[in-house]
Amino acid sequence: MTFTPLDELLLFSGATLLVALILGRGLAAGWMVTILYGGQLLTLIKMAALGYSDTIIHASISFEIMGQSLSWRFDALSWFFALITVASALLSSWFSCGEWERSFKQQGGNVWLYHSAMALNVFTMLILLASGDLLSLFIGWELVSWAGFLLMAMAGGVATRAAMRYITYAMAGGMAVFGGIALVYVAAGSLQYEAILTAVDQMSSTQLWMLVVMFGGGFGVKMGLLPFHLWQAPAYAETPGPGSAFLGAISSRMGLFAILLVLVKLFGIVNIDSLKIPFTLIDARDLLAWIAVFTIILPTFTAMKQNDARHLLAWHGIGQGGYMLLGVVVADAMGGAGGLLHVFNHATYQAALFMAVTAVIHRTGTSDLNKLGGLVVRMPLSFMVLLVGIIGLAGLPPMNGFVSKWLVYRSLLNEGMPLLFLAAVIGTLGTILSVYKLIHNIFLGQLRIEHEQVKEAPWSMMIPMLILAAIIFITGLFPGIPLAWVASVQEVIGLPATDYTLGGVESVSGSLDMIWVIGVLFAGFGIGAVIFYSAGRSKRVHQLDNYAGGHFLSADVRYQYSDNFYAGLMHLIGGWYRSSFLWLEKSVTSLVDFFSLVMQGLYRRANAEFYLLSTALFVIAWVVI
Amino acid sequence: MIPGFTLELILYSTALGLVSIGLAGLVLSHHLFRIVLALVIAEAGANLMLVLAGYRWDAVAPILTTLGEQPQMVDPVPQAMVLTAIVIGVGIQALAVSILIRIRQRYHTLDRNEVAELMDAEIAATAGTARDVSQEAPLGERPIPPITDDAVQVRGGRS
Amino acid sequence: MNEHLVLTIALPLLGAFLLPIIMRSSLAMGVWIGPVILGYGCWILANLWLHGNEQPFSIAIGGFAPPLGINLYVDAMALLFAFATQLLGLIFWPFRLDQDTPKRQALMLLLVASSTGLALSGDLFNLYVFYELVAVSTFGLIAASSSSAAYVATIRYLILSGIGSVLTLFGIALIYAQTGTLNLAHLAQLAPDQLNNDLGLAAFLAILIGIGVKAELFPVNTWVPEVYATAASRLSAFLAGLVSKLSMLIILRLLLLIFHQPEATQVILILGILGVISGEFAAWRAKDMRRMLAFSSIGQLGVIFIAVALPDERGVLAVLALSLHHMLIKSGLFMLADHWGGSLERLRGIATTSPLAAGLFVLFALSLVGMPPLPGFWAKFTLITELAGQTDPLYMIGLLVFLLATVIEASYLFRVAAKMYQTKPTDIVRSNSPDSGSLSLTTASLFGAGLIAATVMVSPLGDGLQAIAVQAQDVDLYIQTVLQQPLGEGQ
Repeated sequence: MTFTPLDELLLFSGATLLVALILGRGLAAGWMVTILYGGQLLTLIKMAALGYSDTIIHASISFEIMGQSLSWRFDALSWFFALITVASALLSSWFSCGEWERSFKQQGGNVWLYHSAMALNVFTMLILLASGDLLSLFIGWELVSWAGFLLMAMAGGVATRAAMRYITYAMAGGMAVFGGIALVYVAAGSLQYEAILTAVDQMSSTQLWMLVVMFGGGFGVKMGLLPFHLWQAPAYAETPGPGSAFLGAISSRMGLFAILLVLVKLFGIVNIDSLKIPFTLIDARDLLAWIAVFTIILPTFTAMKQNDARHLLAWHGIGQGGYMLLGVVVADAMGGAGGLLHVFNHATYQAALFMAVTAVIHRTGTSDLNKLGGLVVRMPLSFMVLLVGIIGLAGLPPMNGFVSKWLVYRSLLNEGMPLLFLAAVIGTLGTILSVYKLIHNIFLGQLRIEHEQVKEAPWSMMIPMLILAAIIFITGLFPGIPLAWVASVQEVIGLPATDYTLGGVESVSGSLDMIWVIGVLFAGFGIGAVIFYSAGRSKRVHQLDNYAGGHFLSADVRYQYSDNFYAGLMHLIGGWYRSSFLWLEKSVTSLVDFFSLVMQGLYRRANAEFYLLSTALFVIAWVVI
Repeated sequence: MIPGFTLELILYSTALGLVSIGLAGLVLSHHLFRIVLALVIAEAGANLMLVLAGYRWDAVAPILTTLGEQPQMVDPVPQAMVLTAIVIGVGIQALAVSILIRIRQRYHTLDRNEVAELMDAEIAATAGTARDVSQEAPLGERPIPPITDDAVQVRGGRS
Repeated sequence: MNEHLVLTIALPLLGAFLLPIIMRSSLAMGVWIGPVILGYGCWILANLWLHGNEQPFSIAIGGFAPPLGINLYVDAMALLFAFATQLLGLIFWPFRLDQDTPKRQALMLLLVASSTGLALSGDLFNLYVFYELVAVSTFGLIAASSSSAAYVATIRYLILSGIGSVLTLFGIALIYAQTGTLNLAHLAQLAPDQLNNDLGLAAFLAILIGIGVKAELFPVNTWVPEVYATAASRLSAFLAGLVSKLSMLIILRLLLLIFHQPEATQVILILGILGVISGEFAAWRAKDMRRMLAFSSIGQLGVIFIAVALPDERGVLAVLALSLHHMLIKSGLFMLADHWGGSLERLRGIATTSPLAAGLFVLFALSLVGMPPLPGFWAKFTLITELAGQTDPLYMIGLLVFLLATVIEASYLFRVAAKMYQTKPTDIVRSNSPDSGSLSLTTASLFGAGLIAATVMVSPLGDGLQAIAVQAQDVDLYIQTVLQQPLGEGQ
């Protein structure tokens, strides 16, 4: 029996899980698991041909259960997502080895559970990504949901409550998908992709509508699309540090993967475009685009109000998912490329940001933005990483986030969707404002007295962070590297492929060469630096050498403007925060609660069944006579 | 006699009437013993119905006396079944009454609602919980309390 | 070989009557009688299963051929449930020794005998008799826990069950008045001509509601939360796991063989949907584990009723799969409830003190909500693909309600699971008695092992159930097997 590379990958991943389960309590468990993730990454690289062509690698296992055949395979789409998954698992696991692990254990955390849950997450995600038919997709989907629950719930307390909320949402989404699968099965007679592709053409628009709603809604829950986004930020933020880096980087992208596979590849954007909403001018595709845009705007502005660094980042994770969906829904070569590239870019900077914040927590013990400040003098490297990350998140050059956002904006303009463009720009504005809050409240301002003794993060944490920062910059400079993979993904899911170059894209509708952009940018920096230093007017001051409102501040009262950040802005837009979705969620919970009460009352009221029975009997008597 | 108002019709209506009376008793009475009696009445009605189902007015009892020519006989099967049903019914009634005696001994009442309340209280006490639905605490704590804003946002972090 | 089958009913019955006498003379011998009888029953049935030629057969009791005589009808479905009855009877055998032991064991034997009779009987009136026997022995067993609450629960159950019996008898009388026979095969032959009318429908409704009392059918299931909360957990497990399924089986048989009116299936579907809604919603607020399980059992039985309303053999397959799955899970969960006992609040942090039990709970819960690749998923998958294929919009509603109920179920089950895994136990849980605690945990582990075995073997199991479903669906086969047989076979 010969192993295909996919078999090797899945076996490797399963072995990682086993090692974590068996040896997870041991001393060097973290390092062993990390090395095994490295092995998985190597196996993926062995399959690199997938990323540059539209070949398929099958797994040699397949099952035939109750008339359904289950199989697994990898194509460019799976490979692209798997690469991000395994790489972020590798770096987060590396990050967690050594010092973090020790302090986690000291605080009463269960390291064994953490490593096992991570390995389980990666394993289940690979199974999901490898799914070769709709049934194995659903199996993978549910496995990923429950594995995620394990990782989220393990911290206890608030985390468990957040995880409970997550699993309720995820079950609702899963059941919508389950129902959709049943409908597809009835329509196509099989759950193989080929059969579905042919059956989609014969579906009535009502059928297609139902399927789009059920699958879109179900997968959208995992992505955190509006109005199903409430669970995500608390659930990701309360996961133990490296875990939240991993989840934030890739977990909710599984929803995007499924949407790409089912809605885009199987149903086809063209078919979705033909679904009109009665009595309005918009169709299902516009609906998706607007949902994407609101998913960008609302969570981003919610992020701005957060006072906990991890929550702030997690809320951004939801918002950035909107850009990906928006790009894919626009569905031209540039938009698709932008959306998909953003998956990669987002994973890199989100992981870097979560790691930087975790490093700060590791050293200071808090992620409360009102209790930090001035750490740039103590943790300069972490500051650098966070800076690189937020530039990526905000979508500014020279980091990679700029490229993907530029592609999405460009495609919106090309396709004549100025309103969507405007809305996306408003979202970016919110991003820039809130990431400034993040870096300012942690690293700028004056150092707090209690943080005088803080040291830079240990090297076991620093190296993965620096690697990520390097990736962010390099793929910003040469976006052609990931764009090559993105182009093959586009071909696989039936979108037009983009014409990429090493420095960006080259097409009639618009071109971008990041090598030039960054060259000019750095030239500008260089000129600025020459002026700055040659003028010789600059003076170096100590962080505490500062004054406010005309008063000199003594060194024992540290000054850090952080509470009620953006007070002026909030005065303007504060009224817009209505918590409508929170209200909606509470209403639904209350409704369930109310029904529950009614039903319990029903079972307590003994007379109910007598009345029902006598009615039944009189009906019978009536029929007889 | 009113034409069309045959004995058969009277008996059928009696059967239905007995069942109805029984059910009415079940619904209307509050005393558990009366409810058991109502059950007995309803059962009698059902048994009568079963007998009637196999009865033939122009025939004799189904007992083989001679091996010669046989007259028209009533269908014996329903009668056998009714016998079984009566036996089972009596058994269940005896059991019911004995349980009623036990309840009366423990709770000193046989009122349906009072007994149900006492039982609910006892179940809750045995399990060590508050009552699921009770007059004293109508709502109680939410099963999943919603996460409040301040729990999420103004919380100092701990990795 | 085949005729030994009668022993599976006769021996426990005989044992039930002799047990108190034997126990009076020799306790040591008495305690072994029950398990031995049930073990022998299992052996007979297993033998029949392994060496049978897969063809259904009928046993005429007393030498009179049907439709005149009474017969047992044995096909794969009946055999499966008879086997499950004997096996579960053995597993849930009331071992505990005290002054009530003879009574309890005799009643248990009676319960097993009559339940086996329910599974095998091929005659409507016989079904009624066995059904009543099940009822009587159940009352006795519930009351045997001798708390006042148990007495009240028993009497309330008894009254409800009494109405049910009256209604069933009434329905049987209607059928007999119309057709003049009570043999199921004969009825199946006559039904298309004589019962396919309003009268047949009325008879069906009466029987449905009557038998529905035990099958936890929606309006007549108010006894469920009371009885399961007061009876011994082992008994609750047997009732929820098996007796409800047997009643369901009867309804399924009647529906397949005799009543083909679309209204009949519609009524079942509507009542099933209402059962799912009421049960799952009520369970959401439950504070005590047994009540939660009782309500969830109502919901699950509602799901099975929805499956019963499905027309063809994939519907039967769904019924079988869901029933067996629920049998396994609910029995296991009730055993865990026995192990922990009582309030959900006390389960906080239990995972640190009894990790195995907590793990089992999570396993059962995952399978119950249909997490692939556990068997629950495949049962649910069969159900929903079949539901989605129906044209009647009512089935669509059923599908939606089912999906919604699953979400609610996941929410309340995992609320409990999350509570278990909280790090600091606030209160150390006392199990009822140290002995029953470890016994019930062992039993629960047995069911957990069964579940895992079923997960591994899901493919052959699915094929096996498919074959059973096809056979059960075949009305002509039933009629032929029962009616065209030489006289006097099997005594």
